[in-house]
Amino acid sequence: MGEPVYDYERIERSPEFQELVRKRRSFVLPATIFFLAYYMGFILLTGYAEDFMASSVYEGLTVGYCLALTQFVMVFVLGIMYLRRADRDYDPLAQKVVDMAEGGEPGRFERETAATQAEVPR
Amino acid sequence: MRLFAAINVEAVVIFAIVLSVTLGITYWASKRASSAVGFYAAGRQITGAQNGLAISGDYLSAASFLGIAGLIMLYGFDGFLYSIGFLVAFLTVMFLLAERMRNAGKFTIADVLAFRLRERPARTAAAIGTLAVVAFYLIAQMVGAGVLIQALVGIDFTPAVILTGVFMLCYVVFGGMVATTWVQIIKAVLLMAGITVMSIFVLGKVGFNPIELFNRAESNTGPETTFSLGPGTFLANPIDTVSLGLALVLGTAGLPHILMRFFTVPNAKAARSSVVWAMFLIGFFYLLTTFIGFGARAFLGEAGVAAAGTGGNLAAPNLAAFLGGGEGTFGGDLFLAVIAGVAFATILAVVAGLVLSASAAVSHDVWSNIIRKGKDSEHEEVVVAKIAALSIGAIAIIVAVIGGSGLNVSFMVGLAFAVAASANFPALLLALTWRRFNTTGAVTGVLFGVISSIALVIVSPKVWAGADSVTGSPIGWELANPGIVSIPLGFIGCWLGTVLSTERGAERTYHELYVRSETGLGAEKALVGR
Repeated sequence: MGEPVYDYERIERSPEFQELVRKRRSFVLPATIFFLAYYMGFILLTGYAEDFMASSVYEGLTVGYCLALTQFVMVFVLGIMYLRRADRDYDPLAQKVVDMAEGGEPGRFERETAATQAEVPR
Repeated sequence: MRLFAAINVEAVVIFAIVLSVTLGITYWASKRASSAVGFYAAGRQITGAQNGLAISGDYLSAASFLGIAGLIMLYGFDGFLYSIGFLVAFLTVMFLLAERMRNAGKFTIADVLAFRLRERPARTAAAIGTLAVVAFYLIAQMVGAGVLIQALVGIDFTPAVILTGVFMLCYVVFGGMVATTWVQIIKAVLLMAGITVMSIFVLGKVGFNPIELFNRAESNTGPETTFSLGPGTFLANPIDTVSLGLALVLGTAGLPHILMRFFTVPNAKAARSSVVWAMFLIGFFYLLTTFIGFGARAFLGEAGVAAAGTGGNLAAPNLAAFLGGGEGTFGGDLFLAVIAGVAFATILAVVAGLVLSASAAVSHDVWSNIIRKGKDSEHEEVVVAKIAALSIGAIAIIVAVIGGSGLNVSFMVGLAFAVAASANFPALLLALTWRRFNTTGAVTGVLFGVISSIALVIVSPKVWAGADSVTGSPIGWELANPGIVSIPLGFIGCWLGTVLSTERGAERTYHELYVRSETGLGAEKALVGR
């Protein structure tokens, strides 16, 4: 039982694959930068702004604890945002690429890449 | 040898229930764990929600439950920092690795590296990274298990460690990933239920007003207290705080037993949904650690600090006894026994996951692919995996017994996270995303990461802070957490190795890994049926 061999270079160049990667990256890259910055910002404040973090917002509730709770909110919100985008945008695009590669339409990729060659010079 | 001190009867009954249920599951699972894909990956038939629960069960160790609750009781805000780092880490896993790992991998971290790099050096490097992380993490958990069972049930340290080790090996050897997964799911449910009930009891005592709990915790401190609602009590050096923060947020994405869980689901979509499930479960759990830690501080006070022992590990069980009506009452003893049972299930689930990931690295990577070069049968590989699990388990039991209860658990867990973040994470991330990355880069990166994090921990003041040590670290190194140096070193190692070597044209190209990891084209399929 041999594994099917796909022309990965051609798939990689196909507009469907490029669209998938572009769409996913346009969310994941800024989201990753944001969450790392927000988290490390919090850690830096904890290390270098102790008095600010220990100051009270309301009785025993400190600025530090409020900011800590926003980290939880950030995780839940980013998690849901990514899940929705992936289900709505990325999965159908990925499925399209897989279907085209597996679907016994070898000409399909050639036609589509040929059609876009004018716009995307190599 | 004295086997038993003062036995807690309720705790023994609850431990027996936990053990018999999990052994029953192992018997049921044993029929499904004979093939390689069954043994390592539960046939890839675990659903997203089940895997989310299992990830929580795999991830939330006794260090998370008892350790963080204790740290919050002792130090307040600084203890809570761990909770946040451990949770935010799942964004790293979700955005950068989970789906790609599922699409590109088979059973181990090394599969992903070996996909486009030269097989033998890449697998060797990945196996070194995996075994280093598991060694530190596993010994820490075994020592923790011994200390806890001794304190909570009255069984002595050595038999307690052996008991834990033997049951852990039963799950792994007879039930493989199927049994391990279900032990982790049961543990996650028990742990969530336990901490929720405790939190409701704690909040009930302060009229369900969390602010009142904060006030009471702050006022119930003595003049010499370490507790604070602000930072700087546990982590006094700001650079150390940043260093720890980095290791926590990147380390989870390099933990082999967590990453291995993504191979147990049918596809990338299920891998993704399992991370989101895990995030919500783990986030909910870590939010509640506040109530347990602050509750212990508010109700047990400065007297409770001494009773909580080293690192505050007994804060949560002591709080449970208090909430149930106090030590010596039926309610108090019962609640204490239930929480002890939950802690025991917690440890069993984590150590089983760790041993399974290490045995996969030994059999699938070292034996099958490096020594036998893929010429062995699937049956042989599974047999070797079981032998590897038995050997790793035996070594862990022996080291934990010899090291004894004096081994510092949180220090070893910290070391495991530092190695994971500095060695495994850079190599994996770059293999999946950097077109130029090559075998030399992976090998140097892993070695830089492993060696620098271990070396920096050896010279850290934590290791040299014994009674004889006047100066602390022998070379004046002041950081307890190596991450801020070792993580960049891991990445630099990957980069240097790549640009300095002339190697070109790995076995399979980056095109294939790239397309496969992004789309799932050609990814390993789930077993059909059942």
